[in-house]
Amino acid sequence: MPMLIEREGVTAFTEAVDTFVRLAEDEAPEADHTDLLVSFARFQAEGEGWLAEGRRMGVWLSAVEPVEGLAYDLPRISLVALEFAKFRDGRAFSAATLLRQRYGYAGQIRAVGEVLRDLAKDMVRCGFDSFEPADDSTPEQWAASAFRFRHVYQSAADRRAPAFRERMGEG
Amino acid sequence: MSLAALTASNLRDGEVVFWALGRWAPRFADAELFDDPELGQAALILAKAQSTVVVDPYLIDLELEDGIAVPTSYRERVRALGPTIHPEMGKQAEGGVVIQALRVHSGGARSSGRLGLIRLKK
Amino acid sequence: MYRYDAIDKSVIEDRAAEFRDQVARRLSGALTEDQFKPLRLMNGLYLQLHGYMLRVAIPYGSLSANQLRGLARIGRTHDKGYGHFTTRQNVQFNWIKLSEAPDVLDALAEVDLHAIQTSGNCIRNTTSDPCAGATAEEVDDPRVWCEAIRQWSTLHPEFGYLPRKFKIAVTASAQDRTAAKVHDIGLVLRRNREGQLGFEVMVGGGMGRTPYLGTTIRQHLPVNHLLSYLSAVLRVYNRHGRRDNIYKARIKILVAALGAEDFARQVDAEWTAMDRQAVDLPDIELARIRGAFGYVPFADLPPVSGVFEAARKADPALARFARNNVKAHKVAGYAIVNVSLKAPGEVPGYGHSEVRVTHEQNLVLPHVKLDDLAAVHAGLTAAGLAASNINLASDIIACPGLDYCALANTRAIPVAQSIARRFAEPDVAESIGELKIKISGCINACGHHHVGHIGILGVDKKGEEFFQLTLGGSGAEDASLGDVLGPAVAYDQVTPAVDALVEAYLRERRGAERFLDTYRRVGLAPFKAAVYADAH
Ligand code: SF4
Repeated sequence: MPMLIEREGVTAFTEAVDTFVRLAEDEAPEADHTDLLVSFARFQAEGEGWLAEGRRMGVWLSAVEPVEGLAYDLPRISLVALEFAKFRDGRAFSAATLLRQRYGYAGQIRAVGEVLRDLAKDMVRCGFDSFEPADDSTPEQWAASAFRFRHVYQSAADRRAPAFRERMGEG
Repeated sequence: MSLAALTASNLRDGEVVFWALGRWAPRFADAELFDDPELGQAALILAKAQSTVVVDPYLIDLELEDGIAVPTSYRERVRALGPTIHPEMGKQAEGGVVIQALRVHSGGARSSGRLGLIRLKK
Repeated sequence: MYRYDAIDKSVIEDRAAEFRDQVARRLSGALTEDQFKPLRLMNGLYLQLHGYMLRVAIPYGSLSANQLRGLARIGRTHDKGYGHFTTRQNVQFNWIKLSEAPDVLDALAEVDLHAIQTSGNCIRNTTSDPCAGATAEEVDDPRVWCEAIRQWSTLHPEFGYLPRKFKIAVTASAQDRTAAKVHDIGLVLRRNREGQLGFEVMVGGGMGRTPYLGTTIRQHLPVNHLLSYLSAVLRVYNRHGRRDNIYKARIKILVAALGAEDFARQVDAEWTAMDRQAVDLPDIELARIRGAFGYVPFADLPPVSGVFEAARKADPALARFARNNVKAHKVAGYAIVNVSLKAPGEVPGYGHSEVRVTHEQNLVLPHVKLDDLAAVHAGLTAAGLAASNINLASDIIACPGLDYCALANTRAIPVAQSIARRFAEPDVAESIGELKIKISGCINACGHHHVGHIGILGVDKKGEEFFQLTLGGSGAEDASLGDVLGPAVAYDQVTPAVDALVEAYLRERRGAERFLDTYRRVGLAPFKAAVYADAH
């Protein structure tokens, strides 16, 4: 089980306990599995029922599954796990950005797959707030990578003031 | 009879190096020559485990130029020499019989430089 | 020159520090080569044939004298005393040690230079007109918009890991010196009938194994929405560009697959839904950027310089230089001087301490007083840099080829040298006129052979260096892709073949027609006959 790092407040990261049970495709949840993380296909087929049972739902999206498919369900979803099959596959950055900026999603967005601290800054900026590092990063290392840059040029989902706002004396 | 050598790039400085009895030598003249493919493969396996020493080790085909073994492929001869447009630069600068043999050898393929690659390509 | 403020400086310093940490992790084994490679590429560090190559960005081709000296210092301290200017206004060092690369980045940062995003599947250095701010042709200074793009694209959190590399060019002149149509995005700045500035946006141009010219998806994008519109294009590409096949991953394939209209529709949908205000630069920031370029203190001079006219009459070499290398400046009494690097030597300092790098691998001194032209010419002559051959047959674009590049099939530089020697006689070269020869050592087309009037592509034929010739390409405003002449020729047959092509042109040409125009009029047949009669 890889370590889970969660963002806490603005600049802090802590080690967290993963409450979500990852169901295999043919596995049925036990009664005490209150938090479930399932594939998009399974969520579509069975999510309704599990939500009705009072469970909290997390949905795992691979890079080819568009976030648009979740649009109507987002208010009922507690976690969206976006997969980096390879760390150089940047589709999840757009997915997270859309979840936060277009759909106003306020739940957890988790980075899963080949998650390296070299991507921490980009992930945090695009709205990820929970991470399963594949490189044994500690929360401290994660924080250092995420905030290594004293200034950023773009406005993004993290609402950090970009350079052009700082120059105008804002932020 | 087939003849091969094992080459790679140094991780720290990027220099072209050749396997020489368990060590890495910068001069092609010092490269260990494998006339038995199995010995070459065995060295390659050892080299691949040295991932903090070298990058991308691979075996190259050799043939004889006036009795001296040189890489079959033009690309590998350029690696063993240095840029052809700067003959004073790189490994070729020190000269010698092997450097001379590398320079005069002609023909040979880029695509047969790396053992195993040609078959993949076809 | 855009002057970096404390924020701009902090970004390149922090990036250098980040890379130092990544190198340390690679050397210790914490990062595998597979993980490290994309990271080092995003900092322009390649492992080439003889060692590591570091590609340094020269944002939109603009360098101060101090930066040029900084590059020279790095060349001496960490390399073998030379570098290569690329077709994308970058400079490459060929002998950098990985263990020293972090120090090189620190040294670059000291002169406000960096290697950020000079490789990797990200937004690369934005290229522009080397005559920006000096030519009377332009409707606005394109560098202001390039700098806006530089900042927006630098470490963009969403677009750092695209399907493939992404190149943007910006021009504001009718005469295109940026090859805008063969970029992933080509931006042409124009005024509409109401006098408002806007960009024509072309997407999906590119070279490589499937060359395309860009298609216009927007005629007149209001300039203040540039960054949000680019974000929309990039988002569509990031999400939908192919990632299963490296040869089909460029945006040109996506645009071709969807059709330009459908692609434009998707971009528009994305753009409409986007919070543009958050992305686009406010006017006050655009004005700040414009101001940060500073003003060149032009003197009030008569349009004709007596000194220069007299010198030109007295010195035929200067007259030739003026004919070929000197172009009109927007300010009376000034000129734009092209310095041909297709001759060995060093660069002296003139022209308001600024130098531009061109995509044709030459330099430009943007603001030279006509009165100083003779002295500049003398200085260049002393340094061996006065070759008066801009756009002539000996002014050849060549990629590094097999002398340096790990991907090469064949050499390119020695081929260029051989052809240049053939046309070295200045009278001969001038009588032939504009002839753009471009050479790539493999299908990746870094030498832009597809858009050469004569293009030369190195191919590997049963293990020997062979060269395929194409005719009729152009990377300028009349862009077109070259047509294959016929079977590839051997290494030592390239120069004779080019010679035969030129002879055929001289036979066929009418009046002052350029090689390209003659080719477009008469087609392949006479050229084919000339080469294959002679070469075989
Ligand atoms: S065209 Fe090919 S040989 Fe030339 S620099 Fe590019 S990749 Fe290397």
